[in-house]
This record gives sequence, C-alpha cells and structure tokens, in this order.
Amino acid sequence: MSEAASNIEWITASAMIVDETGLHARPAVKLTKLAKTFEASVEIRSQAQDRWVNAKSPNAVMKLKAAYNTPLLIRASGPDAAAAAEALADLVERNFDA
Amino acid sequence: MTSDVLNARLIDLIGDRIEAHADELTELDQAIGDGDHGDNMRRGFRAVSAERDALANMTFGEALKKAGMTLVMKVGGASGPLYGSAFMAMGKSTEAMPESRAQAAQLLEAGIEAVKARGKSDVGAKTMLDVLVPVLKSIEAGADIADVRKAADEAVEATKPMLATKGRAAFLGERSVGHIDPGARSSALIVHAVCDALEEK
Amino acid sequence: MTDKVSIVIVSHSPEVAKGAADMVRQMVGDDIAIASCGGNSEGGLGTDVAAIMKSIEAVWSPRGVAVLVDLGGAETNSEMAIELLGPEKAKQIVICNAPVVEGAVMAATEAAGGSDLETVRQTAEDFKA
Repeated sequence: MSEAASNIEWITASAMIVDETGLHARPAVKLTKLAKTFEASVEIRSQAQDRWVNAKSPNAVMKLKAAYNTPLLIRASGPDAAAAAEALADLVERNFDA
Repeated sequence: MTSDVLNARLIDLIGDRIEAHADELTELDQAIGDGDHGDNMRRGFRAVSAERDALANMTFGEALKKAGMTLVMKVGGASGPLYGSAFMAMGKSTEAMPESRAQAAQLLEAGIEAVKARGKSDVGAKTMLDVLVPVLKSIEAGADIADVRKAADEAVEATKPMLATKGRAAFLGERSVGHIDPGARSSALIVHAVCDALEEK
Repeated sequence: MTDKVSIVIVSHSPEVAKGAADMVRQMVGDDIAIASCGGNSEGGLGTDVAAIMKSIEAVWSPRGVAVLVDLGGAETNSEMAIELLGPEKAKQIVICNAPVVEGAVMAATEAAGGSDLETVRQTAEDFKA
C-alpha cells in the first residue's frame, strides 16, 4: 500500500494508541529510537491531526501529543521503508512494551 | 619585604578579610542570589590559606596561578571560576610582583579581562567588574592607597541602584535594584586586603 | 559504548543530577554512556570543577560529550572544567542551553540513534514542552 505525497513514494501503516495517557514521553523516546534504526525517512501523525512529523525527531514526536484510542498513522520512504513502517506499527500495538 | 613574605602576608590578609565578612557576603547574597557567596568564598580562601607555606615559596606569578586553581576547584559557585580565572590570568601576566603603578595596573587589567571572558560580562551588569574596573581606573589615574580604598567602597555602593543582567541575580530583574552586589563586595574586600599589604610594605 | 555521544548532567544538587541520570537511563536505555555530578567539594549545594572534569572523562567518547547544566554556577564551572581538560578535548564537548532534565532526555534519545554532537546539542536546545 502506498500513498503519494508530492513525488515521494510512502509505505504506510497504522496502529491504535492504547495507553490511556496517549503517546507520552517514554513511548515517544522508544518510538524515536526505533525509527532512527532505519535508513528510511519515517513520519507519523495522529489521525486526529493532519500534520506529519519526523518520527526520528524526539522533539517532534514528543510535541505531537498523539491521543489515547486514536490511530497513529505511520509512513516510511526509502530502502527499508516496509520494515520501518511495520516495526513502528508493531511497537505501538505492543503498547511500547510497557 | 621580600616576595615570599609578601605572598604569605597577602594570603593571610585576604583570608582574614573574607573570614571576617563571610556572613555579610552571605546576607547580601541571600537578598539577590542563592545565599552561598560567603560560604563559598570562605571555603575557597581557607583552601588557599591551607597552602600558605607552599605558596609563600613560589614566585609571585606561580603563587597566583596556584591560588587561582585552588579557588576554581574549591569555591563551588560561579565565583570560583571567576576569581580563579582572574588569579590565574594575573599569575600568567607576570612572574614578579609589580614594582610600579603601571605594572600593578597591568596585573589588575589581566585579571579583569579574565573575569570578563569567563563571565561573558562587562561593567554595568552589577557584578565584581563594577568594583574591579573603577579600582583599575583609580590606579591608572594616580590614586594613593587611601583613594583606591575609597574608589572600591564607592563602587560597591554604586552597584546598589544597578539592574543585574548577569549571574543568579539577573533572574530577579527589577527586584535586584536596591541591593549591593555580593561579588562587588567580595572584590572590594580583596582590594582592601591588598591595600593593607601595600601599607605594611 | 563510545561510538555514540555521551551525556554528562551537572546540577547544584547531587540528588537532582543522579535523579535526572536515572530518568534518562530508564527512558532511553543503556546504549549511551551517562554520568552525573552535583554538589560542591564538601557535598553541599553547588558544583565542583574537579568532579565535572572527572564525570566528563568517565564517559569520554570520541564522538563527543554533551553537558547539561542547571543554574548559573553549574554552567560557569562546566565551562571552566572543559577549558581545563585542554583544547583538544574541549573541541569535542558542548554545553547544551536546555533545561537539565528534559534536555538530557532529548540529547540522550538523539545520541542513542548515533547522531553527531552538533545534532545532539540542537535536539536538546530545540526542546519545548
């Protein structure tokens, strides 16, 4: 599944935020760290907002304040994009291994 | 008086002044800082006094450098690096004790430049520089020892209406106005102690 | 451990410094080296140039060391410590102009991803709650 944003080919995924406090600081750090292990560009947004942010930026992810019970949308572009999107979605689904 | 005796005398006189006025420095610092300036200065200069005999056997320049490093390591507040850097820079600027007014001015100027660099500051920010710089100017203008003391005391008083823009007091903004700067006061204490030593000479 | 930028936390209080370091370790994990120091040479509130130098050397990394400080004297004493470590090492150490706890978490997260010292500093300084 891919979605065109300008001329970049994105691989997308999504997962529900199941922690009642939403994407708070500790999960944000975990998500950023995981995203940084991939070469691909990775972006995320909360379905409740229409702004994509760089998943490798601790500040951007922290500021996103993605809410509880709202799908987190993930998109990745680059050589390991599919693996990146899947790994991030898995992490969210596992509730960040909390 | 030979240099080793004067080294020891300076250490004693500065140490005694700081010791005698430590509580006053703390009180001044409680008003506009974190209330530790007296304790910090006392700890630093006690450590210098503990090295008195070793320092007395060094050249004037080496003793200043060593005392400066001790202040850096022992004071524990921003005044450690500020005074420490001043002493170390003065020590680097000369090996021998100043013999003339011009040499004394050069020595003090080296210390002032170090304080400016370390504190990223200058006169008018309600700091020790507001005493050290007027004292330098009075020396350059040919003041005698009594006039230098007076210049230091007047400069301390002049920090009262100043608005702090550097250091801990800067957090207070307008509320720093109306209080003497503790660093200015401790600088004046050291100036007085040096004046005492010169009068004994 | 030293293929990543290391973090040093300097606070007036040893408890604050240690607590902030613990928080970073819990949140970010053990893949970066982190050291903390606080208190003056007598253990009271304050900072200690010698202790700061020791902390930086304890976590020294060729990728660099990012230092997080709390109030005034912590910064001045850290600058002094960096200078005393010599010009070669000083080039590889930065003080981040950021709140100590939040900045340390941000810097550590960035560093754990393998970023260079300048990026780590930028991330810590860009933090806004």
